[in-house]
Amino acid sequence: MIEIKQLQVTRGGKTICAVEHLMAKSGERLVVVGPNGSGKSTLLRVLAGLIVDYSGQCEVSAGSRERTYVHQQPILFRGSVLSNVRYGQQGRAGGGASAAQWLDRMGVGDLATRDSQNLSGGEIRRIALARALACEPKLLILDEPLAELDLLATHTVCEVLNQLPHTTIVIASPIEVPALLECQRFDLKKPAPSSTPSAH
Amino acid sequence: MQLLWEGLQQAAQLVLEGDPLVFAAAWRSIWISTLAVILATACGLPIGMWLAGAQFFGSRLMILVFRAGMALPTVFVGMLCYALFSRQGILGPFELLYSPWGIVCGELLLAVPIIVSISHGATKSLDPRVAETAWTLGASPLRRGLTYLSEARTGVLLAVLTAFARCVTELGIAMIVGGNIKGHTRTLATATALQTSKGEIARGIAMGILLLFVALVASYLIGRLGRETRAANLP
Repeated sequence: MIEIKQLQVTRGGKTICAVEHLMAKSGERLVVVGPNGSGKSTLLRVLAGLIVDYSGQCEVSAGSRERTYVHQQPILFRGSVLSNVRYGQQGRAGGGASAAQWLDRMGVGDLATRDSQNLSGGEIRRIALARALACEPKLLILDEPLAELDLLATHTVCEVLNQLPHTTIVIASPIEVPALLECQRFDLKKPAPSSTPSAH
Repeated sequence: MQLLWEGLQQAAQLVLEGDPLVFAAAWRSIWISTLAVILATACGLPIGMWLAGAQFFGSRLMILVFRAGMALPTVFVGMLCYALFSRQGILGPFELLYSPWGIVCGELLLAVPIIVSISHGATKSLDPRVAETAWTLGASPLRRGLTYLSEARTGVLLAVLTAFARCVTELGIAMIVGGNIKGHTRTLATATALQTSKGEIARGIAMGILLLFVALVASYLIGRLGRETRAANLP
């Protein structure tokens, strides 16, 4: 599903992300752990196709409509919570769970008719996750999805992510993710100006 | 102050008595400006949004030209239209001179730079995550455009409102292209100028107050439309 070799992203002459080798098979869950500034978000943005000016090789066997990315600080569009979750479903073949069902699975079904502009950070995060999952992507890219979540919400999100056997999931996190979330770990070091990319 | 007070009294009198000349001029001002702004929005909004996302040689110059166009003197636009619409002009055969349609064309030229510049600024200042989220959710280019429009709604409505305010109150185009013909091309602005030049200051002020009232109603309606669109998004 994912194969990265000698990936390097440079901005203003400074390397902001360096990965020597990274592989993930279809259906695998991978958590990228590293300190602040190690380039986790940059790596995820490369995988999402949002950054295209990099050196090295990054192959993802999923088209742009088959991969979904959730920002570190996700945003919701104007309108209701339900209209947000339905957003990505439009123009796609149905068959999976409905938008309302995804909200229920994320434990925020009661917010469906609420205005998206009056929600807490944790609620926005879970709704953004439901919106991404409603697209039924082959590759799900999540930047710090458990931040701002309380214990119960963390448990719910981990359970939902564990129940996606056909979706490859890449998560970025500055700290260890709960053991409940079954995933492989990939350590990303802060790139030094003259360092070589890190390997997995 | 005395003049203003008399103007207010006369404005109330004109409205209550339903003066047909005043109402005809007011209605003409409204439909001419509304049509010009609708046409300007239809062509200016896509240009503004496209310029916000596009990076090509000359894009900055285009934005600069449109921004400068916001300060176009109405007399200049009026003279330009006069040259184009007169018998010797390239648009002469269309007989737009001294017709309401000629004023619509002139006001269109006035409104397009306003719509382009303000909608460009509103779209450009959108949070970049809006575009990224829409793209990663697989939205089509048209749907992405509609999303930007919805997210930049406040700025877009401001653009429409500013353009309407400029068109409904402009004098140069209506006077030069329209010719202030009674019952045909007379608008509230030209009627105000005429009354003032005739020395009927109070009546001129009354017309001006009516003009202000039209702008106020338009502002209220556009603001209300924004609120209703937001409510319509809720299921």
